[in-house]
Amino acid sequence: MKRVILLCLALLLVQGTAFAADSIKIGLMGPITGPWASEGAEMKQVVQLLAEELNQKGGLLGKKVEVVTQDDGGDPRTAALAAQRLATQGVVAVIGTYGSAVTEATQNIYGEAKIIQIANGSTAIRLSEKGLKYFFRTCPRDDEQAKVAAQAIQKMGSKRIAILHDNSTYAKGLADETRGLLEAAKAGEIVFFDALTPKEQDYTTVLTKMKSVQPDIVFFTGYYGEAGLLLKQAKQMNWKVTFMGGDATNNPDIVKTAGKDAAAGFYFVSAPLPKDLPSDEARNFLDTFKKKYGNPPNSIYAALAGDGFRVITQAIAETKSTDPAKLADYLHKDLKDFPGLTGKISFNEKGDRVGEVYRVYRVNDEGQFILQP
Amino acid sequence: MNRRQLIPLAVAAPLAVLPLFLNAYWIDVLNSIGIYAMLGLSLNLIVGHAGLFNLGHAAFYAVGAYTAAIVNTTFGIPVLLLLPVCGLAAGLFALAVARPIIHLRGDYLCIVTIGVGEIVRIALVNNLFGITGGSNGIFGIARPSIFDLTLRTPLHFYYLIWIFVALTVFVFHLLEYSRFGRALNYLREDDVAAEGSGVNTAHYKLMAFVVGAGWAGMVGNIYAAKMTIISPESFTFWESVLMFAIVILGGSGSMPGVLLGAFLIVGLPELFREFANARMLVFGAAMIAMMVFRTQGLIPSRPRIYRIPAVEKGEGRA
Amino acid sequence: MEQFFQQLTNGLAVGSIYALIALGYTMVYGVLKLINFAHSDMFTLGAYLGLTLLTSLALTDHIGPLWGTVVLALMVMGLVAMVGALLDRVAYRPLRESPRLSAVVSALGASIFLQNTVMLIYGARYRVYPHDILPRVALDVFGLQIPLVRILILCASLTMMAMLYIFIQRTRIGTAIRAAAIDQGAARLMGIDVNRVILMVFLVGPALGGAAGLMVGLYYGQINFTMGWGYGLKAFTAAILGGIGNIPGAMLGGVLLGVVESLGAAYLSFAWKDAIAFCVLILILIVRPTGLLGERVAEKV
Repeated sequence: MKRVILLCLALLLVQGTAFAADSIKIGLMGPITGPWASEGAEMKQVVQLLAEELNQKGGLLGKKVEVVTQDDGGDPRTAALAAQRLATQGVVAVIGTYGSAVTEATQNIYGEAKIIQIANGSTAIRLSEKGLKYFFRTCPRDDEQAKVAAQAIQKMGSKRIAILHDNSTYAKGLADETRGLLEAAKAGEIVFFDALTPKEQDYTTVLTKMKSVQPDIVFFTGYYGEAGLLLKQAKQMNWKVTFMGGDATNNPDIVKTAGKDAAAGFYFVSAPLPKDLPSDEARNFLDTFKKKYGNPPNSIYAALAGDGFRVITQAIAETKSTDPAKLADYLHKDLKDFPGLTGKISFNEKGDRVGEVYRVYRVNDEGQFILQP
Repeated sequence: MNRRQLIPLAVAAPLAVLPLFLNAYWIDVLNSIGIYAMLGLSLNLIVGHAGLFNLGHAAFYAVGAYTAAIVNTTFGIPVLLLLPVCGLAAGLFALAVARPIIHLRGDYLCIVTIGVGEIVRIALVNNLFGITGGSNGIFGIARPSIFDLTLRTPLHFYYLIWIFVALTVFVFHLLEYSRFGRALNYLREDDVAAEGSGVNTAHYKLMAFVVGAGWAGMVGNIYAAKMTIISPESFTFWESVLMFAIVILGGSGSMPGVLLGAFLIVGLPELFREFANARMLVFGAAMIAMMVFRTQGLIPSRPRIYRIPAVEKGEGRA
Repeated sequence: MEQFFQQLTNGLAVGSIYALIALGYTMVYGVLKLINFAHSDMFTLGAYLGLTLLTSLALTDHIGPLWGTVVLALMVMGLVAMVGALLDRVAYRPLRESPRLSAVVSALGASIFLQNTVMLIYGARYRVYPHDILPRVALDVFGLQIPLVRILILCASLTMMAMLYIFIQRTRIGTAIRAAAIDQGAARLMGIDVNRVILMVFLVGPALGGAAGLMVGLYYGQINFTMGWGYGLKAFTAAILGGIGNIPGAMLGGVLLGVVESLGAAYLSFAWKDAIAFCVLILILIVRPTGLLGERVAEKV
């Protein structure tokens, strides 16, 4: 019996690697299991849907595009293995991944294997400061976002500011950057700066504490799950304060968790939502996604993964080549204002996305996300 | 007896030539297995031999890895030269932590070690003393080199790691058959009797804990050297759980068992990659199944046989 | 001062949930000397089953919020209890005669399995309870803002704990459980069906864990498949803090842990909250090696 199982496993593995050679393979590395599995699942849906659409239109250079997904488990060690696996599966480029530390553990592997990597959620600044030729990202960096957040806070005229993060690489980075900018601009006083423990349910302790220092605004740089609970519990405490979030709070689930009444008036900074883009690509894609999966994509990072897929396929189509050096050159120099799902995309020489990407959104009484002028 | 001595050779020879037939991915899987095999062996001394319920081994692994990373990035000392320093740092940390708690009963010790593991992780995340880099971790650890060869590819690390595994097996084998090892087995079986026969149980338990932790610290150094970037996510409670499962699943107190355990616990999730998002489900089921069908572990440690020449055949065995 | 009392009530609310989950750990441990790491997933399962039943049966629409919730709780507890008994049959019973730590690894495997089962069935995204099940009113008690639901939850968990205490102390099967916890062999010789006792423990413990999951779902509203880990670890800590195997100890440990956490966080640091909690645990264990109410076991003869 054991032998039979082993044999089956072996066959599965052989099958996994022995695909027909007349397809172009694009890797997707995402957190399919582990704490960020919801992000990974959506990344996979978006990229696969885009690949299907592309194949229906005849594929790339006369070949089918095939998406090879590997699970990074949201942890650097598993990610390093996933990267090695993708490197041996003959992919041209890899989309992903979500966490910055996770991406970092894989950068050298892809760099040495000459595989283009387009990260979708890794916003830590240093990732693109290493002079890596094949590294790109469709998400902007923490400093970009902090700039917009700090401006928005100043514009609201807030004098007493509370900043709350969750000690993740992303949230801490954004919180630190924003604090630095606000202090440099001498705009108001930072009356509270601390981290909550993510993935808990009860945040009344931290809310009670924040309430006692009487801020005008609370800037929470963590994720939507915690943000929803914060809004809901603040409402239950009868505490009326303006909340603002970073782009990780851009997810319709925040309204579901908090309830429409508690979510109303919540501001967040984010890349524009597909619905607010004038481009037909974005709206069409949104419709097909909704038709196929029943709801529009929740996470902005999934849309950014989709953009990663779209720019790399665009590069392959334009250069008529799968040579990584040519593709990287194209992305660095020739791709200008590509109509992505999240806005116009161009890359600078570091592989960072250029242009003002961030906007400020506000949740209205109906729980809709309204773009602020 | 001769045949038993051949077994390590029979295992080592295929391992030495194996990477020639594998691609970089499978070599890297083997590297991961090697690292966990060493961690498992070091934990085996604590759990398998001394019988201390330790579910926080990742803490000592982390101390070693962070020592290597911090010293390397600030003073530029080559990583591999820091091996003894890392071992020492983790060992001293274990000594400080374990001294007041070593007398706790099994399950109380378990939660304390979990607690220590969590405290260490939270301290790393909170950028303790401003040197651990917070949740970003530490990056830019220089690649290690041996003479003129800079270790870069998975293949290089394969030989580094597995030579170190061989060394680990050798050292722990000597330890197992020393006075120290015998004392540990005695107090694991019956610490009251051991105490009564003049074995200083608290001292031996503490020593086992410190030696195991120190070795994990050295493995941390190798991990840091291999990854060139480390972050707190690599040292969670989950890592301690994996190490613990390797020891118990393989066969507590048995070195071949622990090695096999490392192959299964680290290797199976890789084999199950084809199951996509069900892979951890299958892995969990496999863990239960292996435990249920081999309750003593896959390769249980065998009771030692001491031949006493003066006793007639058939009399001395009860 | 107002801040202090407000934080105290915050701590009590969290602590009462810890206590309820801790009971499951402590009961199983008392009889089997096994740390049932899969207990945290009974809690998760309770939250998810509650959501499914709530949305599919719409009980609260038919028979009012109060009775609807009670019936719902009973159904969830029943279902989770069945899963608990099944878990014992599959993962623990074959390991009764083997080394204790083998069963711990089986428990860890079961936990991974159950957590991923929930993820595959319900998806990895957050799931949200309907909002209008329980009234969202905050009471003003001497200037403290206390949501009504919080008081209800505290009452519900106190009631369940009291019922459990009576069950253990006053009924025949409760006496049998206590006997088996003290000495299984002797209990068997006295004619106690130890297998039935174990089955009972695996019905009651998970039922309480499931109830805690449902309460968290109803009150906080947002659930996800990894929520069990955090609560489970804390509840296990609470059980040890009170002295594992001791039922009043688990209650005391849970409440104490909740309060220590919230006061420690409020007056020292939020980022270090869990580290503070574990430090307090370690300090208490150094002074009292078997927990607050644990039996003194002679370490040396």
